[in-house]
Amino acid sequence: MSQGQFSGLSLEELSQYKDVWVYVVVDDGKLTKPSLELIAAGRKIADKIQQRVVAVMIGYQLDNAVKEAFEYGADAVLYADEPWLKSYICLPYTRILVEMVKQYKPYAFLFIADELGRDLSPRVAYRLKTGLATDNIDLEVEDYFFGPTRTTYKNTLAQIRPDFATRIAKIYTPRHRPQIASIRPGNFNPLPRQPGRRGEAIRFTPTPADEDFIIQIIEEEKVPKSPIDLENAQVVISLGLGILRDGEGRPRSPREGYELAEKLATILREKYGLRVEIGATRALIYAELKELEGIVTKDRQVGQTGKTVAPEIYIALGISGAVQHRVGMIRSKNIVAVNLDPKAPIFEIAHYAVKDDLYKILPKIIEYLSGGE
Amino acid sequence: MVKGVPARTTGVITVSGVLRREEMDLVMNPHDSKALQAAHYLRQAVGGKIIAVSMGPEPKIVPIMQDLYEPNQESRYVPRMPIYGVDENIVLSDRRMAGADTLATAYALSAGVKKIIDIHADAVKNLINMVESGASAAEIERKAEELYRENLIPNKIYSTLSTIGDSAVKLFAEGKITREELLNRLHSALEDVYNFIIIAGMKTSDGETGNTGPQTAEGLGELLGKLIPHVAFVRDFEIFPDERIIVASRRVGNLVQRLRIPLPCLLTIHTEYTPKIPPASYQKKAKRNGYRGQVKKVKVWDADYIGADPSRLGFSGSPTIVGPGMEIGKPPVQKIVGESLVFERDVDEFEWRGGKYGPFKKGDLVQNLPEELVMELREKNIIGVFTLKHLLDELFGGVKLVARAV
Repeated sequence: MSQGQFSGLSLEELSQYKDVWVYVVVDDGKLTKPSLELIAAGRKIADKIQQRVVAVMIGYQLDNAVKEAFEYGADAVLYADEPWLKSYICLPYTRILVEMVKQYKPYAFLFIADELGRDLSPRVAYRLKTGLATDNIDLEVEDYFFGPTRTTYKNTLAQIRPDFATRIAKIYTPRHRPQIASIRPGNFNPLPRQPGRRGEAIRFTPTPADEDFIIQIIEEEKVPKSPIDLENAQVVISLGLGILRDGEGRPRSPREGYELAEKLATILREKYGLRVEIGATRALIYAELKELEGIVTKDRQVGQTGKTVAPEIYIALGISGAVQHRVGMIRSKNIVAVNLDPKAPIFEIAHYAVKDDLYKILPKIIEYLSGGE
Repeated sequence: MVKGVPARTTGVITVSGVLRREEMDLVMNPHDSKALQAAHYLRQAVGGKIIAVSMGPEPKIVPIMQDLYEPNQESRYVPRMPIYGVDENIVLSDRRMAGADTLATAYALSAGVKKIIDIHADAVKNLINMVESGASAAEIERKAEELYRENLIPNKIYSTLSTIGDSAVKLFAEGKITREELLNRLHSALEDVYNFIIIAGMKTSDGETGNTGPQTAEGLGELLGKLIPHVAFVRDFEIFPDERIIVASRRVGNLVQRLRIPLPCLLTIHTEYTPKIPPASYQKKAKRNGYRGQVKKVKVWDADYIGADPSRLGFSGSPTIVGPGMEIGKPPVQKIVGESLVFERDVDEFEWRGGKYGPFKKGDLVQNLPEELVMELREKNIIGVFTLKHLLDELFGGVKLVARAV
């Protein structure tokens, strides 16, 4: 029994699929930061299997972005550059990507796990009848032994994503190609730019089809950028529901907790010249507390459904550390957890544990840091 | 489309990483309430009916679906919502569907939706055949009433409601419209069957993928031989019944797109969606496009009934495999304020009672040293308890110098 009842390709067919593709997004003629991260993710895998990273892009007026893709680590760029493809719409983009895949047969195809990537990649994967692992935080290459057919699939992509319970799970797509995965922003560092680095630019020239225009764009408007830049902060001070009471169990206004955090942030910004932002857990944001209205907003959310951050220093104040929160900050270089509950799961991953009342500790920290010159 | 998700999230995964759904209490995916609110808006605006479809083990899903009839009541399974419930409930349940990834799930759901469309199309076609083959008005009326009771044809074709005295079949029986006009109206009703809108939550609280919505649009398109467009993460939308289009807003990157989507289509609804109130002028038409009412019994369909290819279902039809899970690891060293012992200064390698120790750096955690040595070093103040000051110096001490240098 080779494949038996299981769908998929033969080992011979699998071996024909080369190259790691990354679907990159262009904004104002430049690659977005998550796109640069995606090239780095592709690079990691391509180096392991000794194949090329191919940046795939669809849009209009892509010359500069193509150049950038090479400088940030792509070996080749496959692109469709047409006026009628200026804006993203699922149907034409799906059709073109599927045609590209059928022609060039990539080993893996990576997308960014944002609203565009989550709109596009499922459709592409279904049409190609292949697997899609969503929301990955890391990728590896492993040999995968598939028990039911007693087959070892060499060099299979291990797609690492937060699991629904308390863990991280590896997802494999051993029998199908391409192995499609979406990567959460914030988990790979863009490669250093190498000015003048070039590669093979392959222009793909699709012919428009009627189906491309089923959905029409009435208008597009830029969203004003949030002034809160969690992803680029060097220090993130995050608040959880623990700010609602102190060490004596007395209720505290969450506003008080917020203001202490802001005071600490100000010192770190002004005295230490650091980029500091205040984050929060989903639980705190969705508690919709009056005292925090308009201050602790959704653009501050760290975690699985919010932002993924990896700052130098992550200070978790009154955060218990549910897995959904942890996957959004676990890559921080130094994690400081302040929590009254010595059994809080956040302590499992903290480099520095302060098992104490944040309302006692924060003023001390503020005093110490502002007391020095 | 709704999904049953675990009410709690511990102790339900097997060693090999498979979710033991049959051993869990399932509740409705919280993101699906937005989908239900959107469906409710659509029914108010254009009539039709809401059919909830879910795939999962029958004994776990049926109680959820049962409570969808009355979402304004307290329920263990469904969050309370100030809306009228769904009209019909269908559960796709089959052992062969177990262990499905998003591809196999979307395939099963597409086959289920296709079956729903077929049943409704067949009902209207049945009447069309009778009218075409010259059946008497009484025969047509009898058949129409039967289909109406089964909730398969809209009020405008046949209804016993006093407010709808002008259903097509009644007008025909009364001699007020010709056979040809009746046929026209039936054909238009048949067309309506294909102008469906599928609504899904933007993702589930367990898998968190958000794949199933867009993939069901793709799967259904394959089964119908006609592309079904989808828009994911819709934050706001409105239907324009005369044009048969939906205008929806969603975000991609730093853009808000306003899109014009013709029916049929599939939308997944963002958690930030708030339903609009349809104009009062839509009401009358909506009523005529409506159906008899709720069918209170949850229907359970298996793979054979929906004509699904078993090789595309469940584990064997799933390209992805979930490997063993791993705990998110502890950091190699953890310093606990007030508990951990650390070196207060750099110490070169030294000998102590025949053993060699070090070198150590300032701030190193004291680990695996003989207790007596630790006591000795503490007395000499070479090691000490890790304090908040230590912590802050470690984190910001270096930064301070950099900041000064600038």
